Amino acid sequence: MIYNTIKFDAAPFSYSLEFADRITLVRGDSATGKTYLYQILEDLRLLEEYKAIKLFNYKTEGFHDNLKKCRDKFIVIDNADLLLNNEDRRFINFDCSNQYMLFARNCDGLNLSQGSFMLLHENDYKVSLKRELVAV
Amino acid sequence: MIYLYTDKQDSGKWILQNDLYFNLYTSNERFTEDDRELIWKIDHAKLNKDKHIETKYGLGTIRNLSSGCKTILNIMKNPGKVVNANECGKNVLDILFSMEDISLYMTRPERIHIKDDVEICFNDTDIVTGSKGYEQWWSREYRRRELDDL
Repeated sequence: MIYNTIKFDAAPFSYSLEFADRITLVRGDSATGKTYLYQILEDLRLLEEYKAIKLFNYKTEGFHDNLKKCRDKFIVIDNADLLLNNEDRRFINFDCSNQYMLFARNCDGLNLSQGSFMLLHENDYKVSLKRELVAV
Repeated sequence: MIYLYTDKQDSGKWILQNDLYFNLYTSNERFTEDDRELIWKIDHAKLNKDKHIETKYGLGTIRNLSSGCKTILNIMKNPGKVVNANECGKNVLDILFSMEDISLYMTRPERIHIKDDVEICFNDTDIVTGSKGYEQWWSREYRRRELDDL
């Protein structure tokens, strides 16, 4: 794992994200703050501690090639249902040097465990990842 | 009738990238009181007359709405288009499946609340009714994909 936990304050919110698997799929309802989190990570990755964070979204040019160049990164992909093709999914499964947080609903073709399925949960401005109950 | 398409087509009649399409086009449309209520219902965002929004995340513009909210607004403001619903959460899909005469692109099933009298047409060929018909169609489709090694 590149990061077991990512913790930071982004007033008025306080984030504590704990990861249980190399691949984390963040799903749940629309409007739970996934893209907002992505935007905060754009700043956070500039800190030395979080320089392993690599971000991709629908605006990224050359997504498929750039994904395959990543090594020892914590890769966050917003709009992952739009971006990931079957080849990308195979790469994610077999290249174990990277850790992934995917904002995606479609888990087809990904090797996942129960700890992979998470929901972004906010209570009293404290944001965390909560396990989603799924049959794997 | 709700029209569902499960295979992607690159056509001008399709909206595949909802964020992009909304940011470039739909956001420039005029928003009604019904639209404002919908935006509040999904994003808990208050849309002002100058297209700024107020949410618990702070102030922004209409382009800061969630992808799910942008999807539903793309559907409402662009009748006749087939709109990608793959990025929508259950809260948005429940609303979509209560609407009439909309066309969606969906590649996999989601657990959705669908009323018993809602008619769904898959790929312009199979017409099913309600949750039961929806689930049965997807079960058959997944068996087909398994047989075809997809």
